[in-house]
Amino acid sequence: MKEIKLTRRKFLKVSGASVALLSLNSFGFFGGNSIANATQKLINEWDYSGWEDLHRKEWTWDKITWGTHLVDCYPGNCLWRVYTKDGVVFREEQAAKYPVVDPTGPDFNPRGCQKGASYSIMMYNPDRLKYPMKRVGERGSGKWKRVSWDEILEDIAEGIVDGLVEQGPESIIAEFGPGNGGYLHIIAPHRLAMKLGATHLDLDSTIGDFNRGIYETMGKFMFMDSVDGWFFGKLLLIWHMNPVYTRIPSYHFISEARYNGAEIVSIAPDYNPSSMHADEWIPVEMGGDAALGLSVCQILIEKGWIDVPFIKEQTDLPLLVRTDNQRFLRASDMIQKGRDDQLYYWDSAKQAPCLTPLETLTLPCDPALEGTYKVTLLDGKTVEVQTVFHQLKTSVNKDYTPEKASKLCKTNPETIRRLAEKCHRAMGHIQVMVGWNSPKYYHGDLIERAMCLILALTGSFGKKGSGIRGWNESLFEGALFQTFKEAIGTAASMKELPRQMKMIKKFKREDPTITDEIASIRMERWRDANELNMTVPAFLYYFHSDYKKAWDTKEWHCPTMKRPFEEYFNEAIAEGGGWEGFVKPAKDQIPSVYMWMGTNPARKNRGWTKNILPSLWKKYKTIFGFETRWTTTLLHGDYILPCAGFYEKLDTRFPTPHVPWLTLTEQAVKPVGEAKMEWEICCMLAEKIEKAAKKRGKTKFVQRDGKEIDVSDMGKWQKMGANNIDEIMEDALETSALLGNLPVGTNLKKMRQEGIVRFTGVSTFDPISMNLATDIKPEEPIIPLTWHTGTKKLPYPSYNRRIQFYIDHPWFIEADEQLPVHKQNPKIGGDYPLRMTSGHQRWSVHSIWVTSEQLLRTHQGRPFMFMNPEDAKKRGIEDGDYVKVYNDFDNFKIHVKLTPSAKPENPVEPGQVIIYHAWEPFMFKDWKSYDAAIPGMVKWLDFAAGYGHLNYFRWNWCIQPVDRAMAVQVEKA
Amino acid sequence: MAIDDSKLTDREKELANEFTATKDQLRKVDKQVAMVMDLNKCVGCQLCSMACKTLWTSLEGREYMWWNKVNTQPGKGSPKDWERMGGGYKVLFGGKVRDPVRGKLPTKKEFGDMWKYNWDGVVNSKAGDVHLQPKNDDGTEPDWGMNWDEDQGGGEYPNAFYFYLPRICNHCAYPACVDACPRNALYKREEDGAVVVDQERCKGYRFCLEACPYKVIYFNFIKKVSMKCIFCYPRLEQGVPNACARQCTGRVRWVGMRDEPNSLIYKLVKVWKVALPLHPEYGTEPNVFYVPPLSPPRLDENGKLDPSKARIPMKYLRYLFGPEVENALDTMNKEMEKVRKGGKSELMEILIAREWKKMFEPFTTDPATLDRKPSSIK
Repeated sequence: MKEIKLTRRKFLKVSGASVALLSLNSFGFFGGNSIANATQKLINEWDYSGWEDLHRKEWTWDKITWGTHLVDCYPGNCLWRVYTKDGVVFREEQAAKYPVVDPTGPDFNPRGCQKGASYSIMMYNPDRLKYPMKRVGERGSGKWKRVSWDEILEDIAEGIVDGLVEQGPESIIAEFGPGNGGYLHIIAPHRLAMKLGATHLDLDSTIGDFNRGIYETMGKFMFMDSVDGWFFGKLLLIWHMNPVYTRIPSYHFISEARYNGAEIVSIAPDYNPSSMHADEWIPVEMGGDAALGLSVCQILIEKGWIDVPFIKEQTDLPLLVRTDNQRFLRASDMIQKGRDDQLYYWDSAKQAPCLTPLETLTLPCDPALEGTYKVTLLDGKTVEVQTVFHQLKTSVNKDYTPEKASKLCKTNPETIRRLAEKCHRAMGHIQVMVGWNSPKYYHGDLIERAMCLILALTGSFGKKGSGIRGWNESLFEGALFQTFKEAIGTAASMKELPRQMKMIKKFKREDPTITDEIASIRMERWRDANELNMTVPAFLYYFHSDYKKAWDTKEWHCPTMKRPFEEYFNEAIAEGGGWEGFVKPAKDQIPSVYMWMGTNPARKNRGWTKNILPSLWKKYKTIFGFETRWTTTLLHGDYILPCAGFYEKLDTRFPTPHVPWLTLTEQAVKPVGEAKMEWEICCMLAEKIEKAAKKRGKTKFVQRDGKEIDVSDMGKWQKMGANNIDEIMEDALETSALLGNLPVGTNLKKMRQEGIVRFTGVSTFDPISMNLATDIKPEEPIIPLTWHTGTKKLPYPSYNRRIQFYIDHPWFIEADEQLPVHKQNPKIGGDYPLRMTSGHQRWSVHSIWVTSEQLLRTHQGRPFMFMNPEDAKKRGIEDGDYVKVYNDFDNFKIHVKLTPSAKPENPVEPGQVIIYHAWEPFMFKDWKSYDAAIPGMVKWLDFAAGYGHLNYFRWNWCIQPVDRAMAVQVEKA
Repeated sequence: MAIDDSKLTDREKELANEFTATKDQLRKVDKQVAMVMDLNKCVGCQLCSMACKTLWTSLEGREYMWWNKVNTQPGKGSPKDWERMGGGYKVLFGGKVRDPVRGKLPTKKEFGDMWKYNWDGVVNSKAGDVHLQPKNDDGTEPDWGMNWDEDQGGGEYPNAFYFYLPRICNHCAYPACVDACPRNALYKREEDGAVVVDQERCKGYRFCLEACPYKVIYFNFIKKVSMKCIFCYPRLEQGVPNACARQCTGRVRWVGMRDEPNSLIYKLVKVWKVALPLHPEYGTEPNVFYVPPLSPPRLDENGKLDPSKARIPMKYLRYLFGPEVENALDTMNKEMEKVRKGGKSELMEILIAREWKKMFEPFTTDPATLDRKPSSIK
């Protein structure tokens, strides 16, 4: 408390009058009557603490609940405390109660970001949906009417039954994303779509987050360490990732690793925000990363800086390849009834071929890593064989010495050597921090294969702080399990579990050499085709939309695609092409209904305005979405189902091993207006569908494969015998404990006490959790792949069951991509001098927060594009100018921000323009977003299938449209 | 502008003496809480800004304010070009005299207005006809905001450079705002040294906005009073760290007693001397300190790395943090190298902050454990 009581005596003691007078003068107090003001109250008494309660009162609340944000942020799962006052959520603050897991590293506190910290604002943003709305004018006319839940759901149900009757179940298209749903609430529409026999579009394929190259190499990509593992790496290569924007709550593990002695290297064409805290930034040509990576490998091999025991045991580098046909030497080549997928080493002691075991990585001999040998085949023919390593070494020595690679990746050769030396120093402890930027490059698979090669050569897998990362959504399998169960409760689980176990056993009987992980993948693939009706959208797009036009444009593909795209497509869908059971809807089955949840397709699907809106969108007779706010997709749709926000319902964020706790959100307040929880909406809709079908006297429908769809008990089925969401949650928690994901005894009461619970283990029920291939330990970060690299020696789920660098699928050989190589970016969009790159933005998670008025005020509040000042000057463009961006596909308009961080063009290299993604199209003039420059090309090799791991299953090996490094030109608008 | 003492009347001299004595009283503190921010950990995410926003600046007239903000350096920041707006002191005679520097009054638009969006048009017009656009209060199109020049930075490709600078009120030892207020409405709280504006005394003259060289004071156009960062004193009183610090997920900020030799703040500022005030030449003696930014090496004309040259020019860092910045960065580099070679470093241990809570000692209370029903505060 400050009180000023100046007495006359004290006052005379004070010195320094001239200083004070200087102040008074400089502040302008002299020369007017302000001197009087300044001194008027000086000798009065004043209690300065009197007013301070003002702010104390502002920091009060009625209630605190747990909260997290149910979005497709990776890894998310930040635990918050939600503060409510007068029935309104007024703020949230991180709970910051993560326990210390590994005391040798930093803890997880206080996980969160600015989006999470302002959801309390976003939930009341002007675009929040409060009531069911129905289109009353033409589609896209902006004429909306508020209707009752009964009316909207009855309309939708009629539309669905129309679709079932007229075109069959597969004509109903369901697109569900992980954004804005949660987990229980997103399982609900999955269950609804499954019961309808609807075509369920794979979410990874539509998002583009499938790391093709990691998958091609490892036979899986859904593994990663928990983010606290990052702290323990010795060399972190931030490569096709921008963690400063996209891993905000996890970034401290990187900055703190640096203080712990790790080196941080950022590799990117632009000096991006994640370069600023790196020890070194290595510029690379856009899409030139494979050349850079392979050059590092060339040096590692040449210098002998490689982990030979690791390579021999864990990779396919010692396997033999026939030089006559570029194919592996197979057991079927050598012995009667030999398997096609069993391959050979060269036994360096016996100087003879030696079969690779299928069921283990334990070496049967000391395999030669190098050399050319002769073998005699079953038919008596003698052929020459070489090890994969031999071919790889020849290839990198021929094409990727630092000087040669430098011409491709534009990185200085000395800098490449420096990087290789760093890799050598950090041997075994390198982590490639890759995001989902690389898979969005046309040749992103080649880039990732090169990254994996660096890691494999240095033995950087299966150790704390090492490896690479993909995407993993698993470990709360009790919720996923609800997709299949008839009802909640142990009895239903005990009925369903044996059915799943039987399937696993069946696959293991058919091939006793397979691991549980491989069996689990096979089971999933069967379920996807036959129960979940999941597939990639490529078939829907090719048969029913204008994507076909783009994909058939030869000039936008890589010139190394030897035949027309159509030929590969037709070969893929023909019998034996590997896509049997997944080509849906059929070519002659006109899509009738479109529903989505947790995604924003008009924003997300590449080139949506041109590829989908004029064609496929018009075919749909009924379009409806589950949403919390007005989106571009909704504004083009028919029916709007307003959903509860993240603090208005009980749920968990989708689980991930990156942040190895299940995270709870609960109802702090009732949903705004008439909004409802998705689970509740789905229950109501299922009843309406059942009723509408019964009214027409037709409740059974047949899929093209002959499977019968019955909606006569749909209402009951959807509800699962639960009275409320609490019971659904209780069941999901109980089943997860049963499956081993969560500690025994985990229940809702405990969750409500603690807010989080740490995962305990994986299970065969879900191949995605099996992909981690590790035991989750209580006092250590999750370290994936230890079942392969450790004492268990379990094989990988790749074709040759090793870390696979040689792919002898005929198309790969035809494309000369059997080994990792570098290929130039194709000129997608035409022959233009700039390349448009992208990345996830800082200010929103996809488009969920992109319209938050407070977050908009933390940038320019409108879409913008970064551009180098030199490139701008040439075009007469200044900072803040409005420009037109165009190519042969389409054009759009946007404001420019100049930055020397973007790569400028020069006579031989393209320049770079950068647009961080997820602006709503309605934020652009004519609602034409940057997607107008993205035709959504797919690499033809994505269609290769029927080869070991090159086969679709949920979220994996899913053909995906690419969007990075589009060729564009820019001019002043 | 010097004043000739001899020309003043006795009454004026008396008033001047009283003025000085009063301001001395208003500056007096028992304890000074200080903050250190490590710019090598800051990711510019604005979580601190949002933490502050939902707690203090969502109420009437405060909506446009950002008591905490993060800007890209080099850049014009917020308010636009604040570093050129003056204020603070010219320190003379080894600190015996602080000669005030006249400052400019920043406008609302220079801070960034409270933009409004045309939602009705977007939702209720034909698809494509009306797109979402921000407007200032007066209907004009915004051309500045709290973070308008984010990630633009300086330099030339490939030697571009930039970094993030989070800013709050510096809660200075010699706050120019306190001196400038003719109403004596600003003072430092004795309990923690927070500089606050007595909302009951303030009459909205805005001399403080002019005088503050860091331009962190805002004017509430509805309540007609000046407002600023209050260093979360209601939280500090309860042993809870400031919202911007506790919520910082980059673990950038330490809070503690400036003069307590065992505090981490003391170690960073006084012992290791790696934490420096921003623009020390402003003469106000801030109590917020920054660990200056390291940066990746420059590339030569052939694209070759030159490990001896950091890309942020030293001249620029000296401009921001004063001459001590070279020693601070040297210390950082040496200690990092020591750890890389397998050694131990007290400094690196502090900066890693394995146990997060310790960053704020003695302010380690979890706010969710408090009972703060509205009725509990009289």
